[in-house]
Order: sequence, then structure tokens, then C-alpha cells
Amino acid sequence: MNMTAPLLELQDISKYFGNVTALEGISTKVFANQVTCVLGDNGAGKSTFIKIISGLHKPSKGKYLFEGAEVFLESPRDARDRGIATVYQDLAVAPLMSVWRNFFLGSEPTRRLGPIKQIDAKFSRATAKEEMLKLGIDVRDIDQPVGTLSGGERQSVAIARAVYFGAKVLILDEPTSALGVRQTELVLGFVRKAAERGLGVILITHNPQHALPVGDRFLLLNRGQSLGEFEKRDLTLERLVELMSGRVRAS
Amino acid sequence: MSESDAPTRGDERISYRGPLKRLFISPEIGALIGAVVVWAFFWGNGDTFGTAGSTANFLDVAAPLGIMAIVVSLLMIGGEFDLSSGVITGATGVTIALMAKHFTADGAPLWLSVGAAFILCGCVGWWNGFLVNRTGLPSFIVTLGSFFVIKGANLVFAKRVNDKVNISDIDEADGFKFFKAVFAGENVFEGWRYRDQVFIIGGVIFAVLLIAGLVEQSLVRKVDRGALGFAASLAGLIAIAAGIIVLHRTDSVMGNWLGGVVGLAGTIVAVVSWSASQFETKPTLSGNLPSQARNLVLAGIVGGLVSAFAGQVFSRDERLEVRPWLPQWIVWVLAILGALYPAVLLVRQLRDKTSDRSAAVVAWLVLRLPVISLVALTLVVSALQLTTVQAVRTVVMTIAGTAAVVALYQARAIAGRTSTLWFRVIGSLTGVGFWLMAFAVRADAGAPRFRSGIFSVLLIAGALVVASTLVESRHLSRTRADERSDRLGKRLVLAGTSVGALALGQRLLFSDGVFRMSIFWWLFFTAVGSFVLTKTKYGNWVFAVGGNKDAARAVGVPADKVKTSLFMATSLMGCFVGTMILMRLNSVQAQQGDGQEFEYIIAAVVGGNLMTGGYGSVIGSSLGALIMAISKNGIPAARWNQDGRFIFLGVVLLVAVLVNNYVRRKANEQR
Repeated sequence: MNMTAPLLELQDISKYFGNVTALEGISTKVFANQVTCVLGDNGAGKSTFIKIISGLHKPSKGKYLFEGAEVFLESPRDARDRGIATVYQDLAVAPLMSVWRNFFLGSEPTRRLGPIKQIDAKFSRATAKEEMLKLGIDVRDIDQPVGTLSGGERQSVAIARAVYFGAKVLILDEPTSALGVRQTELVLGFVRKAAERGLGVILITHNPQHALPVGDRFLLLNRGQSLGEFEKRDLTLERLVELMSGRVRAS
Repeated sequence: MSESDAPTRGDERISYRGPLKRLFISPEIGALIGAVVVWAFFWGNGDTFGTAGSTANFLDVAAPLGIMAIVVSLLMIGGEFDLSSGVITGATGVTIALMAKHFTADGAPLWLSVGAAFILCGCVGWWNGFLVNRTGLPSFIVTLGSFFVIKGANLVFAKRVNDKVNISDIDEADGFKFFKAVFAGENVFEGWRYRDQVFIIGGVIFAVLLIAGLVEQSLVRKVDRGALGFAASLAGLIAIAAGIIVLHRTDSVMGNWLGGVVGLAGTIVAVVSWSASQFETKPTLSGNLPSQARNLVLAGIVGGLVSAFAGQVFSRDERLEVRPWLPQWIVWVLAILGALYPAVLLVRQLRDKTSDRSAAVVAWLVLRLPVISLVALTLVVSALQLTTVQAVRTVVMTIAGTAAVVALYQARAIAGRTSTLWFRVIGSLTGVGFWLMAFAVRADAGAPRFRSGIFSVLLIAGALVVASTLVESRHLSRTRADERSDRLGKRLVLAGTSVGALALGQRLLFSDGVFRMSIFWWLFFTAVGSFVLTKTKYGNWVFAVGGNKDAARAVGVPADKVKTSLFMATSLMGCFVGTMILMRLNSVQAQQGDGQEFEYIIAAVVGGNLMTGGYGSVIGSSLGALIMAISKNGIPAARWNQDGRFIFLGVVLLVAVLVNNYVRRKANEQR
């Protein structure tokens, strides 16, 4: 495991909305080739946390380091340009558009036809299919609307897209919360594959059963505060559940 | 695909749908079929409808609607509406006319007034977009505001500057000739001797390539192909050609029979033997006929009989009115039956012991009653609006005939799952039904164009149904994509469609019709709009912004800019159309375009665009506009009550939306 330098590091991050404290003093490190799980019950501050990482919110306090240097993200676009990609569960795709159109949405490859630029559909189709295959999904038909894919496959389109467009850090927001057992397995498989390809993956979930098999490091949140960071070897499922429910203080 | 399916392999239980079969459940095809059906309907009903001259005329009248429907559909796909799109055409006319007459003592040159109108309209569009983006209010409200403001401004300025709401005689302005030529010039093309021959040959090529492409896309290719079957299909093609020549040259009964039989047999032989030589066969099934299929067959036969007898029962006299002819008691019986029908359904629902009574009734009332009432009301009202008996006759024949065909087609599909034999029997029965209908129509119709037109179309349709039944029952369907075959099939169909369209176009163009520039602009903008929507980056963004704005924004699509540009495109196109109308009429009413925006929206919806955005097509909405124009023109030509066209439009809209919904659901299921 690559423990040399963290890809992304947060030091003592806090976020206040008026007099509400959403996050207080959170620190974590994200390494390449690893899956970092952010766990917490509802209201623990998970979504505020990812919004800060993905550039949607600016932290009220604390340091955001990316590849060793401190950065101030202006917008999600800024984050994406640096290679920090976020896959939201509901916001991932336009359901009535075809798989390949979704895959290249916003970064369509074009070719010239005289003075006119048009989408290079042939290249897009082939590339989208290939990239999906690399994650282990054989889409029957690259022209089918994304809405006809299963929930897990829909996530996979977004994940494959992020990987293809050179993401270094991939943030997944509750990718398994609306999925059945097999679909969950599938998505967790994609998550592992993405990490194996050299990305630093941040997986946000409230489900310890999903997190434990794929995660390498675990950040536990409760009511806006960190319960600590754990390596996989230090945790069992029971311990994780206990910690999350807040019955036991981390030692 | 359901959750339990492993997504890694193609599912053999689902037969593969090639890109073409998918084309058949796309919005354009639905609208195209609708346009053809509506056209054929009125063509058979009115003597003045469908000649080249009258077609050119109504296309000219329809062009403003068609051009606007294109941008309105783009905007709708982008998730927004523009209620000021109609009144902006009036604003353009008023602006240009006022400037041309009153800008200085002599008025302004037209290039200045037209330029000013375009700038003004661009600003209106930008403002609409800006407000929608900035406030997040529904565009319905924002543009409703613009609508009223512009409507008021039109009247105020027209009255204040010109003293009346009608501004005329623009042709005194500088540069009128040029603008008239560009926006509303008239084109007459010389007649051409071979236009009918080219039309027939083009039609045949279209049909052959269409079938070949479809077969290519859906069946599994054989490894070794027999030369015999190929030779047989060539012989079939020759037989088709021979049949057509015989039909074209002779007018004797014997000759017609010979030509018809040889041509149709040739069609079947060509299709069946060609696919036999090229594609894999599948094992036959020997199950029983499912009862569902049996019932549908019975329904189909009954529908066919009703359709055939309606021709005998109702009089064909165009002057005979319905109300005096129909005995009063029948009206009463119909009314009572209509009222009783929902009551009977309600009672049946009440007696259904299986579900919780009160909840079920409430649910039933809420869900079904409005629909049933609406349908009943529409039927009764439209029946009363069909003032001549002849019209009722046509409606009954068409509806019963169509229902029969649909029922038989369904029965064929159901039977095909268990029994090859029954599949073939029902398919042949459908073909025979087509042929019988052809002869019924022929014996019945007074107009000669029935004989050559609908008669031969029905004969060919029957032959194709028989041929396709034989092919489908024999050959293995593909379950996986095969890129080579898919591409080949797509090209075949594309080539066929182009040939067919050219053949149709030249037949229309080289005639006595007067083709105004508006028609060519309509075609041009349809092509441009379709290209932009489906082939460019921007078009991709339009779909995405309408389908899931947040997702689009999350991947870096400038959603607000896309929306603003769509609003501006709509207003600018409104300006274009306004100029076109002004140049055509040489005058403008300040109220012009008022209320047209709903027609644009209807055209877009009829053309298969989703009102909530994210789905649709430009060609579809052009066809939707065509459907509306045909009905607008066909109803007076058929001597029906002119006011009935609104009822017709309403029904068309409802049917179109229901069909589109169904099609989209099917499209999403069958993967």
C-alpha cells in the first residue's frame, strides 16, 4: 500500500452556517490506490464534508491540501479541472440521453466537417464502450438511454466518465443507498477497480456493511465531529457499528 | 434490465433491437406515420385536397407554424416554454412597418427596419432567458409577462404612430423587392414529363431498400449463402417490375388482374427467398393458439366486417347531412348509452369483492372518470360535428379497419410465441384482410384516384404483411448487436428513404403549384435544427439541460447560457417569421401572432417532444406542424364543419401525447 504522500489532505476543517456548526475540526488524508470511507449517520455532516472537498462550499476554517500544496477551490468546476471529480447519486446522468452522450457530456469530442464542428459520434461510442468494459460492464447497446440501465450501471457510467477524464480523486456520494444487494456488490466492485487504477477514492456512506469490504481507511463522523480515523486492520464490523451509533467513544 | 440480471452478458431472453427497429419507436416516425395517415384520410375525403397546387398553398400557409415549431421544440427539449413566441411575430411586423413608414418623413430603408427588429427581438429573448435563469421562476410565468407587455406595446405603438392597428403598403419602402424575394418570393417550376414514372420507380426502390435494411438488421446472417435463393429473389424483383409495367400500360380487367397477381406474388417471392438465402432458420414451435390471441383474431374479423359493411350502410352522398338523416331516437339511445357506460363500470367496480371498497371506488373515480368522460365527450361532440353522412362513413370505416389490423397484428405476435403455424395463419389472414379491404374500397370509390392510390397501397401492404410473416416465422432473430449488419441495414434504409423523398419531392415540385420561399426556408431550418440538435455539442447540451440540469451543470455544461441562447433563438426565429409574413401580406395587424404560441407548442408536442424537456426531435415537430396544417386544410376541403377543426386538433393532440407516452415507455422497456 502506498503510504508515502497523501493525494489530498484536510487539516482541521470547520464549517459554520450562521450559528449552526456543520463541521468542527475534521482532518483526514486520502491516498492514491486507496478507498477512504466517510461514515456517519444522518446529520453527521457527511454531505457538508463532501461539498467542501468538491468545491461547492468553502471551509470556514482549516487547510485544504491537494498534492501537497494548499488550494482554495473556487467552484466544482475548479475542483474538476484539478482532477477532483464528484459523482452524486441523483445528479449523475440525464436519464433520457444515450449512454455515450452522457459519458461525454460537457466534454464532447468533435471533428471538423468543413467549417462546421460536429460530435465525433463514432469515436465517442467506441470509447464509451471500451471505458465501461474496463470497469467490467458490457453495455448491451451504447445508444440506449441511461434511464434504462439499472441503478448500479448508471453509477458506473458516471464513475467510468470520471476515470476517463483524468480524475485523481473520485468522490462518491452514497452510491449504494438506493440499490439492491447484487447492484451494490457491482458498484462496490467498480469502486475497487477505480482505486486499483490509481485513483484516490472517497466513498461516502451510512452503511458499514458496504464500507467495510471495500474501504482501506475510515473516517467516522458524528454530529459534525470526527470520531477518528481508522485503518482497516483496526476495525471489525461490530466495532464500526458501535462507533457509528455513538454508543462508544473512540479510544 | 432488472436488478437480478448480471449486466456483463447480453440477455438471450430479450431479442435484439437493431438501430432501425429503434428508429420505429422514435418520435419522428410516430409523427411521420401520423402525418401520412391524416393526409391519406383527407386525400380520400376531399376532391380539392392533395393536388400539387393546393399542397403548395397549404405548405406556404403552414411554413410559419413549422419554422416556429422547430425552435419551440428546441426550447422545450431544453426544458422551457416561450409564450411570447407568437406575439413576437406581430411585434416584428409592427416594428418594421412603423419604421418603414414613419422613421423619417420618407420612412426608413427596409434593411434598417429589419435589422432593428432583429436586434429588438434578440433583446426580448435575452431578457426572457436572463429572468428565467436569475429568478428561477417557471418560464411559463416569465414569458407570459413578456407576452402581455409585447401585446400591449404592439397596439399602443401602432395606434399612436399610425393611428390604426392595421399598417399597410410596406412596398413603398426602399429595398422591398429584395426582401420580398428572399422571404416570400414565388417559384414556379416547369412541368416535367417523367415525373410520375420517376415517382413510381422511386417508391419501389424505397420499399425494397426499406425491407432489405430491416431484415438485415434483425436477422442472423448465414455462413454459407445459397445462390438459388438469391436467383429466386431476382426473379421476384423482375416479376414486380413486370407487374408494374403491365398495370401502367393496360386498362383492361384481365391485364390489371394479371399485373396485380404477378407483381404481388413477385414481392412475396423476392422477400422470402432473399432472406431464405441470406439468414439462419429457426426451429418451428408447435403449441396451441392462446385464448388471448383467439379473442383478438375474432375482434379483428369483427372490425374488418364492420369496416366493410359501413361502406354499404352509410350513404356516400356528400350533400346528405347527419342530423336530418339520423333518426332522433338513435341520438337519444347513444346519449343514454354513453351516460350508462361509466355507471356500469362503477357498479362493476363496487361489486368487486376483492379489494377494499371505499378506497377502490375513490381511486377508480379519481383515476378513470375524467379520462372516460373526456373520451366520451370527445366522441359525441366529434360525431355531431361530422356534418355529412359521408364523413361519418369514412370515420367509421377508418377506425374499424385500423382497429381490425391492430388486433390481428397483436394476435399474430401472441400466437408467435407458442406456435409457428398459427403465426403464419394469422399473418396470412391479415394479408388477406388487406386485400379484401382493397377490393371493397375499389368497388366503392367513385373517385379515380382511389382506384390507383389506396387500392394499390392496400394490395402492396397485404403482400408485405404476408411476406414479413413468412420471414419472421422462419428465421432466427438476432440477440446481439452486429456492427457490420447494423451499419449496412441503416445505410440501406437511409438510401431508400432519400430516394423515396426525392421521388416524392420532384413529383410535387414539377407541377403547376406556386412554391413560395417560406417552404424552402422551412426545409432549410428543419435540416439545420436537426443537425444542431443531434450532431453538435450544443445540441447535446440542450438535451442535457432539459433532461437533468444539475447533472449537466455538474459536468461543466454552461446551463444558463444554453437556456438564454435558446430563448434568443426562439425570439429571433419569431422575428424571421414575422418578417416573412409581413413581406408576404404587405401589411400587418397589430394583433398578429396573438395565440399562435399554443399552436407552436401543440405542433412540438404532437411531434413527440416531451413537455418536461430532455427528449424530442426537430424533424418530429416539423411533422407535427404538418399534421396540423393538413387538418386545417383538409377539413374545409372535405366540406366538414370548419369550426370542427378545433375539436380535431384537440383530439389529435390528446392522441399524439398518449401515443408518444406509450412509445416512450415501450422504448425504455424493451432493452
